[in-house]
Amino acid sequence: MASDVVLVIGGGPAGLEAARGAADLGAKVVLVEERDCLGGTPVFERYAALTHGFQDAEEVMNRLIRDVTAHPSIEVKLSTRVVACDGEVGDFRVALARTGDGASETVHVGSIIVATGFQHFDPGRETQVYGYYEYPDVITLADAEAMLKAKKFVRPSTGLPPERVCFIQCVGSRDRQIGNEYCSKVCCGIASKQAIEIRQQVPNCKVYIFYIDMRMYGYWENEIYWPAQEQYKVNYIKGIATEIIRKGDKLLVRGEDTTLGRPMEVLMDMVILSVGMEPSKGTREIARILGVKQNKYGFIEVPHEGVDPVATSVPGIFVAGAAAGPKDLDDTMSMAGAAAMKAVAAVRKAAVAPGRG
Amino acid sequence: MALHAPPKLERYADVPYEEKERLFQEVKSDPRFPDYLYGCYECGICVAACPSARFYDFSPRKIAQTLAREDVELFYYQLNEDIWNCSQCFSCNRCPRQNSPGGLITIMREVAVRNGLRSAKEALEGYSRVIYKIMVTGTQVSPDMIQADAFPDWGPVAKETADNLELWRKALPPETMHTTTTAWEVSEQTLTELYLIWHMTGVMDMIKEVDEGLHMILMDVMEELLEEKGYALAE
Amino acid sequence: MHGDGKQAEGIPRKERVFQRDPDLPLPEDIRERVFELEEEGEWIVQRVPEPYVEVPTKYGRPKKVPLQHTWHHKSCGQCGHIPGYSTAIFWLHRKLGLAYDDPKDQTSCTGWNYYASATSNAAAQAAVAVRNFAAAYATGFFPLIHCGTSYGHYKEVREELVKHAELRRQVREILAKLGKPLVMPEEIVHYSEWVYAVRHEIAARRIYDCSAITVTVHPACHYYKLVQGDAIYDPDIYGGQRTAVVTAVATALGAQVKDYSTWFDCCGFGFRHILVQRDFTRSFAVGRKIETMIEEAKPDVVLTHDTGCVTTLDKSQFAAQVHNRKVGVPVMSEAQFAALAMGAHPYRVCQLHWHAADYRPLLEKMGIDWREKWQEFEEDLERIRRGEKEYLTWEDVEAEIPARHFLQVS
Repeated sequence: MASDVVLVIGGGPAGLEAARGAADLGAKVVLVEERDCLGGTPVFERYAALTHGFQDAEEVMNRLIRDVTAHPSIEVKLSTRVVACDGEVGDFRVALARTGDGASETVHVGSIIVATGFQHFDPGRETQVYGYYEYPDVITLADAEAMLKAKKFVRPSTGLPPERVCFIQCVGSRDRQIGNEYCSKVCCGIASKQAIEIRQQVPNCKVYIFYIDMRMYGYWENEIYWPAQEQYKVNYIKGIATEIIRKGDKLLVRGEDTTLGRPMEVLMDMVILSVGMEPSKGTREIARILGVKQNKYGFIEVPHEGVDPVATSVPGIFVAGAAAGPKDLDDTMSMAGAAAMKAVAAVRKAAVAPGRG
Repeated sequence: MALHAPPKLERYADVPYEEKERLFQEVKSDPRFPDYLYGCYECGICVAACPSARFYDFSPRKIAQTLAREDVELFYYQLNEDIWNCSQCFSCNRCPRQNSPGGLITIMREVAVRNGLRSAKEALEGYSRVIYKIMVTGTQVSPDMIQADAFPDWGPVAKETADNLELWRKALPPETMHTTTTAWEVSEQTLTELYLIWHMTGVMDMIKEVDEGLHMILMDVMEELLEEKGYALAE
Repeated sequence: MHGDGKQAEGIPRKERVFQRDPDLPLPEDIRERVFELEEEGEWIVQRVPEPYVEVPTKYGRPKKVPLQHTWHHKSCGQCGHIPGYSTAIFWLHRKLGLAYDDPKDQTSCTGWNYYASATSNAAAQAAVAVRNFAAAYATGFFPLIHCGTSYGHYKEVREELVKHAELRRQVREILAKLGKPLVMPEEIVHYSEWVYAVRHEIAARRIYDCSAITVTVHPACHYYKLVQGDAIYDPDIYGGQRTAVVTAVATALGAQVKDYSTWFDCCGFGFRHILVQRDFTRSFAVGRKIETMIEEAKPDVVLTHDTGCVTTLDKSQFAAQVHNRKVGVPVMSEAQFAALAMGAHPYRVCQLHWHAADYRPLLEKMGIDWREKWQEFEEDLERIRRGEKEYLTWEDVEAEIPARHFLQVS
């Protein structure tokens, strides 16, 4: 028996946009989120400004969330996880369990959108020695974001504003030894955005970015990179670091200044590690439960031709956002729209010709 | 803050290009080469970790780049002027692409030695006694090598050791270490096997290229033991 | 060992402890290939004998460290001019009642020469390694490598033999001519990994108080920078973010291990540099390591676990004094330090008279009367000189030790 319900798994930007899109197309939508609130990583990690246009992340996310919670056709289930799945396109039976009381139920849906997102690379697995687990003043992009949102960007060890801060790019990405050979796409933009925010909040602080390449696609070049250098005097140095170790009450960062072609050792008050993206625990789990293929990095695999970025190996199951690999917000919202369109089309086709989505 | 001066490639202008190319191909065709060189995105981690980069005008990144680009002229320059600065510590193995500039240099050094390059001979001046010791005795350093005139910078302990050597070496509990001319006592059978390995792997030919005198001495010593043990070195 | 613990008010600080994610697959490990090659008939894998201890390595894969029935692959530099280093390793085994073999059928790994002069090639280096492995295999005892360079070099040789069938074939033929099979040990084990594995047994037998001793640790490049996954990383030591050997042992003995800002630096041994380019070696040993250690940590002793590092750091200090550099800290292996703490004779066992930097303040601080010990040793020397005895023996050394008991392994 066919179902015309679309199940969206994950309540971050991808899931919210996909749910709203599918509902606006006239479908009934069930949105399942394992946390007790919507918003996904931007909310959970207290993002300050979004890289695109420096919009306040909380404001933007609140709009997306309101659009979903106010929508009559979307049923939101918080603190809920998918635990099993059976069936085929048009006729999936999905078992859900609620955290806390463990209450379970089964929903009957016609198509599924996976929007379970990413997690940050854990610096403890890094090939280089960055001391994240030894020194409080070595932090990640996520740690920095929370401080910037609270407008309290300080050295964790002293509580005082820093005078010298540097970013180290590509932490956990582009590395054969770690296995994450890919580029995580967003860290160059985020680091530059944060560099600007630091310069705005702590005008006396010098900021450096140590990089291999600066990934400044499209308008990031003129909207972020050039202003960072020209207006905010962020120093971009080509050559990343291999070691961070404490010297006195500062951090000694050892790298190569490849432009000048020689080794470099500089003292910093804080180091921000631009950690890359990896599939989240939720993404790994859901791939197993739904039986969708993962690529060698554990992300949901989509066909490589580039013309169908939301299809998975299972007909009727689609993916949106960072569950499929490193994505920025543009990618995520575009995929969410495409996934919503295809998910609704799938349930309609299945209603007419069962088993064929 | 002067930039490093560009390498003076003209120093080797009189060496035919074909010769440089041949040596390059010899490095590239070593079976280990593809394990040591993938791609390089110029991150600088190898230079950041490298001790020699702080002391010499030396860059493991440039070694990897030169080989990746197949820049034969620059390769020949580095083969003669840079490779002996490497301290073979393999800190450069932190490379995120899993290149091993230190490993590439090991291959380049072998090629330099095998081809009897003058720069290789110069680099190994003053080193022949260690080669002799390892090839012939199966240990690389012996107690009797600590002489005050060989290690004046080590301080009075060098002289004290040398003066008391025989006695001090007897005042050691491990039975194998009552030696002065070798680090420990190596059995004759073991030495025989070692000599055979040197011969069977072409190492003797390599030594002949860089130090003919040493080669002669080594052959004499080795042949004596091998004949005694019933091995004829037929080629 | 976490940061200095200082945390400002109001800043959300989660206690950062690195926990390896159990869902993430372990990276490919060469030891899997080693066993596959045995199944394919390429070589014999010598298994680690029981009893063994499992220790954690960098990416989480456990490593087996044999406790006894080990074939001691000695170090040229140790036996040659730091004989107390080798002697201390043997002494620790004897004191713990663990059987070992000290073979004459062992050549140098020849790695020092190889890295210094390249007057060798991959086939020769591999053949030398597997000849030694075959010699160990024939005795039934498992190789335990004394030198850090040998250890790193043999890990490299193992990689090359696993990856290149042609090299295996060449080396197998050579060994066949020597009447030996091609053998690869299940693990390549460094003695400092053995000391790590038995550190609590060592600490239980400590007789001198080390709590006032400040230690700086120098980790050997060839131990942890070559084939990086195969080195001990312990979640309780540096949060699993730096290699744990030596530090774990010093900590177990109750010493204060202090950090310094050039911890990861190479000592500057350089293989050929220490012989023919000594200004390089000395600059590093003194300028990057010793002076930094003294300035930032004020150690009573520098501990390391490799021949070249002990040599470099100990012997480079004298010449630097002429230039009024701040040097003058004793250097030794953790084996010698552990032995001293357990009551080993500083001269009969640890052979400290071969060391250059002054170790006597350290001994005094530990409560060891070096004058009395030197007197005893001089009497030994006198007896040898007079022809009353030919050599100092283990019996002479162990006369002070009560009846040996065998190690209880749970």
